Formats: sequence, C-alpha cells, structure tokens
Amino acid sequence: MSLWSKFQKGIQDVAGDLEKVVSNAAAQVSAVAAVPDPKAQARAEEWNRALGERRLPFFVQERLRQTAAGHLPWIQSGPVAALLMERSHGIHPLGMVGGNCWYHFGYSWTQGHYDGWHQAIDRLRQEAVALGANAVVNVDMRVRRGQEEDMDYALLGTAVRVQDLPPSPEPAVATVSSLEFVRLLEDGVVPVGIAIGAEYDWYQPWVGTMLDQASMQAPFAAQYWNMEVADLSSFQENVRRRALYNLQQDGRRLGAAVLAHTQYAQLFRVADGQGQGERFLYRHIAIGTAISYQPAHVPHHELLPTYSLGRRLHPHRPHAKDLL
Amino acid sequence: MTQETLAPHAVERLKGLRSQGSHEGIFTSDLSVNEFVMIRKAEFEPLGLVVGSCIYHMGIQYGSWNQNMEMDVLSQAMYQARELAMSRMDQEAILLQADGVVGVRLEVKRMEWDPDILEFMAIGTAIAHRTGAEGFKGVGGKPFTSDLSGQDFWMLLQAGYRPMEMVMGSCVYHVAHQGILRSMGNIGRNTELEQFTQAMYDARELAMERMQREAADAQADGITGVQLHEGSHNWKPHVIEFFAVGTAVKAMNDADARIDALAPQLVLPVND
Repeated sequence: MSLWSKFQKGIQDVAGDLEKVVSNAAAQVSAVAAVPDPKAQARAEEWNRALGERRLPFFVQERLRQTAAGHLPWIQSGPVAALLMERSHGIHPLGMVGGNCWYHFGYSWTQGHYDGWHQAIDRLRQEAVALGANAVVNVDMRVRRGQEEDMDYALLGTAVRVQDLPPSPEPAVATVSSLEFVRLLEDGVVPVGIAIGAEYDWYQPWVGTMLDQASMQAPFAAQYWNMEVADLSSFQENVRRRALYNLQQDGRRLGAAVLAHTQYAQLFRVADGQGQGERFLYRHIAIGTAISYQPAHVPHHELLPTYSLGRRLHPHRPHAKDLL
Repeated sequence: MTQETLAPHAVERLKGLRSQGSHEGIFTSDLSVNEFVMIRKAEFEPLGLVVGSCIYHMGIQYGSWNQNMEMDVLSQAMYQARELAMSRMDQEAILLQADGVVGVRLEVKRMEWDPDILEFMAIGTAIAHRTGAEGFKGVGGKPFTSDLSGQDFWMLLQAGYRPMEMVMGSCVYHVAHQGILRSMGNIGRNTELEQFTQAMYDARELAMERMQREAADAQADGITGVQLHEGSHNWKPHVIEFFAVGTAVKAMNDADARIDALAPQLVLPVND
C-alpha cells in the first residue's frame, strides 16, 4: 500500500469513527428522552430470565396452554391437502412452534453449527412439550447470517397430536411434511429428530504437500505430471470420517438411523505467513433426519406403478430459450 | 389412523422416550425418506453412507492451436481420479459386507488456490438384501455400484434387471480454432463449421465408446439412466470434457415373467 493510500485510508477511518460517535450519542440522548414501556421492559426481562434458565417465558407458556386447551385457534403450516390427510388419519394440528439461537463463533465455526442447531432444536421441543404434542412435523431449518462471526439458527414447524396417544415428554421432531409423516408411521418408521455431525481440523505439511515435494525434486517436470496429492486426500478423508462418525453418534443418542440430507465440506489453504508455514483447514458438516424403525418390520403399503402424463414428469422438455 | 393401525414400535416411540429407541437399524445415509422406503420395499436394508475421495493434480497439456485432438493427459487424469474415488468408496462397501451401493454421486470440485488441483468425491449408500438372498453382487463378487435413486432401484428390480456396475467414459478434447483466412472466407455465408461439428462428434463418440467398453467388460446386457455431461474444469476455452455415466444392468433369470406382471397404469393429473 502506497503512502498516499495509507494516508487516504487513515482519513476515511477517522471520518467513519466520528460518524459512529455521533450516531451513538444521538441514540443515547433519545434513549434518555424516551420513557421505557414497563410492559415491554418486563417482557424483555422475562425473555432474558427464561433463556438463561432454559425454559419458556410465562406469557409463551400461557399462550401455548390456551392453544392446547382449545381456547385459542389451532395453527397448521402445511397445505390444505395435508389438513385433509391429517384429519382422515387422526392427526390433529396444535400450533406452530419454533426455536432459534443466534450464535457467535469464538473458536470454531464448525462446532458452532453443531451447538447452535442443538440449542434451537431443544427450544423447539420445549414449545412442543408445552402444547402436549407427540411430534413436530414440517420442520423448516433456516439460518440468518450475522454481520460478523455470528449466525442465527432458526426452526419452525407444526406441533401435532396423534389421536388417542398421551402427550410425549420428548416429541419427535420431523423435517418431513405431515403427509409423509403419516405414511411413514403406517410403515413403522418414525422420524424422531434432527442429527448433526461436524468436524474440522488443521494440517500443516512441514516439508510441503506431496505435490510441493515432487516440484522440488523435479522443478520443471512436476507441473506436467498427473498425480494424486495423497497427503491432502488422506487428511481430508480422516476429518470427513470423524464428521460422519459424529453424525452416527448423534443419531445413536436418539436411538435412530440418520438420513443425511445436507452435507457441506470445504478445504481452505492458508498461505505461509506470520511465522507459520502453509496450512490447510478442512471442515465437514452433515445434517440429517433421524428415523427410528425396526428392520424386522417390513413395509406393508402396496405400490401401484403409474406413469404420469402430467407436465411435471417431463423434466427434459426443452425451453425455447435453450434452443433459440 | 389409531393405535391399532400403527406399528407397535411407532406407538412406543411417539409415546416418547429415547431409551425406547431401537438399537437395531442404526445407520447413516444420504437417501431421501422416499428413497429409504423404496429400498426397503425392494427387500433391501441400508447399511451406511460410503464415501471415497481423491485430491488430484492434473498434468499440463497444450493442444495444438488449429487441430482437433484428444487431450489424453487430461482424459487419463479425469478417469484415474474418479476411479480412485470410486474404488475407495467400494472398499468401504466391502467392509460393510454390502451387496451394492445405490444413489452414487460423483462430484468434482476445483480448489481455489491452485487451478490444476481438483477434488473428486464418490458418495452413495451401501445396501444389503434383508434375508441375505444371493445373486445381487456385481462384477467378480464385489458389491455392485449404481447411480440410480432408491425409486429407480425398486423399478429396475421390478423390471427384471439387476445393477452390475456404474460405468463411465471420459474424454477431454481440444476443439481446433479456425484460421483467420477460414473465418474471413465465411463472412456473409450461411455454412456448417465442419471442424467444430467433427470435434463434438468425436469427443462424444470416444466417451460413449469407453463407457460401453466398461459395461461389456462387466458382462452387462445394457446401460440405463445414462447422462452425458459436458464441462470445463477451469481449462482454456477450447478444451471441453465429455463425461458419460450410467448403470450397467443384467437381466435376471425370470425377467420376462416379472416384466409381464408389471403393468404401469397411465394417469393424467387434472391439477398439473
């Protein structure tokens, strides 16, 4: 960076700081001027206490209790077709339940994903328990990315009660729709929760990767060679195996198998610098639906093969824009 | 649906204690819920997710500017790296004593820090016949591999075929540039660019030939679900890879009887 650009950047930084000071001061003045609403303040304090004590705030508990008792209307998030199926199969929607956790990554982005999702799932389950549910279906997983090293993990779903069953102390949490949930139950398969496996590690090849070593031995020829960078392959495989093992262990905790619908992996290279040599970071996260079933129980649904003449089953029909 | 119509296991789970979860049938896989049901419907059980990967340095090869030619160094690299990833996945399936692997995906990723290094990954779900019935293994008694989904796997068995091996053919090809005189000569004319046509033909043909040769070696009757991908992995603009991949299948002894029993019904959805 040239001296002039450093100088210019310095002026910009000072201007930016001044702007922040002014806006902070304005915010403080307006905070003093505005009289806080005691109700809103009490509500905020109750949220604080409840999150700290790992429970639901009293006013949330009350609303859920009223909904469960039928004094407030039930809520269902799926399509009307799902409602029809639910009614005909003895599934009663109770209410929408959610859980979220805005999480700051201190030492590990990867571990943060594991902790953030688990915290959000626990909170979702708390609301489902308060409604007296047997399961939460149609659970939608979303994230909101923060400004810096932080992220919000959010879950939203419909808590349901199965006819004639007592409320569950640990309701099943299912990412499938209520239609699929019903079909799976009839086949003896219960989606019980969400399992997560995450792992990361660093690799620092002290004398360079195998490709670097080959380049040292044959400075001009190595770039023309086809070769596996075997040390990087095995480092990556090792981390991935641990992530998938963790996923299996998380499923085992729920006594369930895991259908891993989402897998995310990244390999970074951090260049030589600050006294540290070249390093590699690999992270792998797998998220899945945990399902409980007994292999001995064979699915009994009869299947009727059909061939649809509907448009949606013709994915290869070209669009004009691809042909002209 | 009442307690009577539900499986006892499902009722117990919904009543709800984790400790009542089965410790049988604990596996991981990337099957969808529908695929899982269909695999079980086909009398198979998932055993686990199997993965193989390989980080590979591609050698450098220069194509002659005005000549159509296969870039054989790159073709070999693409083939060998995929083969390494697949064989590692196979090893995991053998350890799980699987009959085969379904839903195999082959992914290629470019490393940001070096354009000549690519990551190849093969990922699928190992399955085994529920009652241990024999006759489903692939070539040489090894687990079969297939890129078919759970639904397609069920349909394939219903149609009287069994998967043998996921077969592939790859060809990296350099499409010749047109000379300046040639380009000038085409100004104002509607005409076929034969050199380009020929390059596309030849590259596709080489990829298909190689895939078909693999299937013949696997003693398969045919290849189903073939997809032909065209791609460039950060190569020069005139270098392109044709990659053909599909599942080699073999007819079972009672194939004709099975296919006669299966009479798909045509339906016309009124809301689509």
